[in-house]
Amino acid sequence: MANIKFIGIHKSFGSNKIITDFNLLGKEDEFLVLVGPSGCGKSTLLRMIAGLEKIDEGEIFINDQKINELHPSKRQTAMVFQSYALYPHMNVYENMSFGLKIEKRPKDEINAKVMQAAKILKIEELLERKPKQLSGGQRQRVAIGRAITRNPKIFLFDEPLSNLDAALRAEMRVEISKLHKQIKTNMIYVTHDQVEAMTLADRIVILNQGNIEQVGTPEEIYNDPSNIFVAQFIGTPKMNILEINEKNIISENSIKLLGNDIQFGNIKLNKSKHFVGIRSEYLKSNQKSQFTFNPEIELIENLGNEKIAYMKYDEYQLSAKIPSSDEISNTIGFEFKDIFLFDQNGKRVKS
Amino acid sequence: MRTKNTIIFSLISTFFLIFLVSIWKILATLQGLDIKSLNLEIIFIFGFLTSLAHLGINDKIKTIYKSIIFSLIFVFFDGYLMQKLPLWYNIGVFLILYFYTSKINKYNYESLKEEHSTQVILFDFLTLFGILFFSFVILFPFYMMLVTSFKTQIALLVNPLDFSINFGQDLKDLFKSYFVIFKSYKFGKYILTSTIVSVGTVIITLLFAIPAAYAVARLNFFGKTFLSTSILIIYMFPAIVLVIPLYTIFSQLGLRNSIEGLLIVYTATTLPVAIYMLQGYFKSIPKELEEAAILDKLSWFGIITKIIIPLSIPAISSVALYVFMIAWNEFLFSLMFLDNPNSFTLSRAIQYLSGDAETPRQYLMAGSVIVTLPVLFIFVYFEKYLVSGLTAGSVKG
Repeated sequence: MANIKFIGIHKSFGSNKIITDFNLLGKEDEFLVLVGPSGCGKSTLLRMIAGLEKIDEGEIFINDQKINELHPSKRQTAMVFQSYALYPHMNVYENMSFGLKIEKRPKDEINAKVMQAAKILKIEELLERKPKQLSGGQRQRVAIGRAITRNPKIFLFDEPLSNLDAALRAEMRVEISKLHKQIKTNMIYVTHDQVEAMTLADRIVILNQGNIEQVGTPEEIYNDPSNIFVAQFIGTPKMNILEINEKNIISENSIKLLGNDIQFGNIKLNKSKHFVGIRSEYLKSNQKSQFTFNPEIELIENLGNEKIAYMKYDEYQLSAKIPSSDEISNTIGFEFKDIFLFDQNGKRVKS
Repeated sequence: MRTKNTIIFSLISTFFLIFLVSIWKILATLQGLDIKSLNLEIIFIFGFLTSLAHLGINDKIKTIYKSIIFSLIFVFFDGYLMQKLPLWYNIGVFLILYFYTSKINKYNYESLKEEHSTQVILFDFLTLFGILFFSFVILFPFYMMLVTSFKTQIALLVNPLDFSINFGQDLKDLFKSYFVIFKSYKFGKYILTSTIVSVGTVIITLLFAIPAAYAVARLNFFGKTFLSTSILIIYMFPAIVLVIPLYTIFSQLGLRNSIEGLLIVYTATTLPVAIYMLQGYFKSIPKELEEAAILDKLSWFGIITKIIIPLSIPAISSVALYVFMIAWNEFLFSLMFLDNPNSFTLSRAIQYLSGDAETPRQYLMAGSVIVTLPVLFIFVYFEKYLVSGLTAGSVKG
């Protein structure tokens, strides 16, 4: 039950500018995921909220209280680290109760809180164990439990799942999602994994080199990317981006693409370079589509339920995700509604 | 290949046997390093034949019988050649031979087929040789010390090279030297002084080294790199260079002949290594742990006492052990700064006694044993910490 507000945040390490003019308004009880390639400043942002990193410029508010100068422990946040950061010399119970013990809370209260957190995370039978006797998933659970006992207004997750193996990661992802539904608190989650971002988030913040590229719900991000970076960042394989040069722009609202003339509605194209994006899952292997082209198929990867076809058409390299049941012929088709058009700077051109 | 391997194996094992038997002979007869009287050629021929016979017999006879038979044959020949020697000498030879034959037992004719087997054999025997030789070099003087301390003045004068302990005598006589050094030479007081100085040095060093090492490992401050690289500079100066200016300073400050003075010097000399060892370990503690502790409302002091110190127990105890040993054994500074017998440390007291022609040797040796024993016991007890402390941090656990 908190809202968080970033106003004009700047941060640099030496001459290296990490974050420039970051502004964002978080809603109440929202699960916010910061996602971006490594080095984009997402972890730094999280650490600034927690108070582990100084804020060079700008202000962060939690519930309209400015937290810039507050001591980390007074910001009512709790952080879950990538490396878990459990105290190796304490058992699970002591790990979870440590913060409360430092605050000198009464024993009954500590016990109640630890037990409650342990119950939520189903780690009641592990309380006597030391961290080294736990598996990776259990350690992460304990780390989350430690955060819960602090009763924070905002949970901060710093790539909590990247030390786990694939199966466990999927399992923990579901657990974290359930946890958010159960305890209904603001969560800010940093990851470089787009699957985690898409599945967990209420809203996704896509960062690139310290700038926000787009903020939106997973649906908005997927269906309505605002630029090439966002379009390519979400989705596997990456969205196909085809460069359209001046020659292929036939008129103000029509272009020549993969051998087809494509007519747009009410847009005005100037005679300059443009980009067209088509998600690989929208390239279909049938001839009944609105537009078709005949590429040279270079490689087919079979993933079981689907196949990924890598192909070449003129100078373009494309990939298509095709259900396994479909036969891959050398006629590939796509629909008009699946085309994304970007200008020469990579910004989306909407009709 | 197999013939070559067999010959090399026999040669290596024979040389090893010669080494063992020669040392035993030198010790037992105390005839010095006279090659002729060692009967090397006999041992050589016999050792060679034994190893060949061992390969020939293989496991047709039980190992234990085989070893006993070989040993008995050797003892018989050797005893026949050197008739003068007493029974315990021959028992020693028998034990050496028994050890040797059971050692070569793990090699058989089959394993010599492999090409690299000579390398394995060579390294095996080199390791054994190293262990035996160096433990002998280190343990023998200590044994001498121990034996001498149990002797009477007369026994020492009659036969100074007798290495046996006469357990037949009264316990009171056996430990007479120890009673005497405590009664007439005030060793109790010296032990007390040494203990106070050593434990004091450990406490003071740790008190300064832990925060300092933490600062060097974690905090950013002006001159940090210079400080952390120059920590060990003090070891570029030999102690003897420092001791003379320190002597004049201490004389003027009235710190000579005082425990405080020693504590200052000892702490100053041990602190750099202590900081150096600890900061390496502190750096290996993940930073996230401290960040988690900050979020748990811990202060800097709390982080050091509640997180860093409990996690660094191995490193801290190895530093403590190291500092204790340095302070306990230190001699140069105590020699220079202490000249009043009332403030002597143990090592200074020994030196003082040995400078006095009147002090019987057995008392001196009893004193030396007393100096050595505490360090030995502490070392044996803390050894596991020391090893893990010195290597910890090199590999992420």
